[in-house]
Amino acid sequence: METFALSEPVLLVLLSLAEQPRHGYSMLKDIEAMSGGRVLLSTGTLYGALQRLLDQGWIERIEEDEAPRDRRTYRLTSRGRRNLQMEIDRMRHLTKLAGLRIARKEA
Amino acid sequence: MRRLYQGMLHLYPAAYREEFGEEMQWVFLQAQAECRIAPLLRRATFSAQEVFGLLSGAAHAHLRSIFGGDDWLRHRRFNMRPQYRFPRSTVFLMWVILAGVVLAIQKARDIAMSTPHEVMVAWKSLPLFLLLFPALACAAVVAVWGLLFALRRTGLHRLDGVQSWPEQK
Repeated sequence: METFALSEPVLLVLLSLAEQPRHGYSMLKDIEAMSGGRVLLSTGTLYGALQRLLDQGWIERIEEDEAPRDRRTYRLTSRGRRNLQMEIDRMRHLTKLAGLRIARKEA
Repeated sequence: MRRLYQGMLHLYPAAYREEFGEEMQWVFLQAQAECRIAPLLRRATFSAQEVFGLLSGAAHAHLRSIFGGDDWLRHRRFNMRPQYRFPRSTVFLMWVILAGVVLAIQKARDIAMSTPHEVMVAWKSLPLFLLLFPALACAAVVAVWGLLFALRRTGLHRLDGVQSWPEQK
């Protein structure tokens, strides 16, 4: 089980791939749209995150014979999807806890 | 900007460049083409972000290739996990060290106030001290580590219980 909290770029990359397989540029545009233009990842940051996720087996490349080398597509693995779900559960729990604490303080 | 980007890709390790270089260039060109009609400030921000992203990405890639993963990153963030907690005796040892340092400073002040001319003599023996001190410090570290090892506090004994390959059936 992975125990560390995900950084925002990594979480956004995973969320982008959760919907459908994408190539790098498609991920950049999707992340920009998801965050309402707040997060504009550079290519260096994006590919740093992709390399880490590939190494950890959270995502994989879709091997296509006809696809050019500069437009390779990535997708979530079942391990990546499981870990993303765990992270979302963790954040949901944290948000619920924060709401309860703040409500108690205000009461 | 395209030439600069291509040049900066050479800051990455060769294996990384081989794996992601062409893809990164293509994504960069798409993003740059889209940014071409944007206001000047947006274009400047884009260029600065790309340069900074490449610099930090290259540094991370080199560190990953040296350390063989992201473990050093996790430790850098000081996310304390139960298995990395210090033993309780650490607090006591730190207080002892702090008390020693405070006492040494106080003693040095007393000596300097009572015999100022002898302080000058002490300066002459400084080179010898600088040579001896690291050697003594190393010896002290080895002694403390030996003591902790003898008390089985280093955690090395836990490796005895680790099975690194499956049992043969």
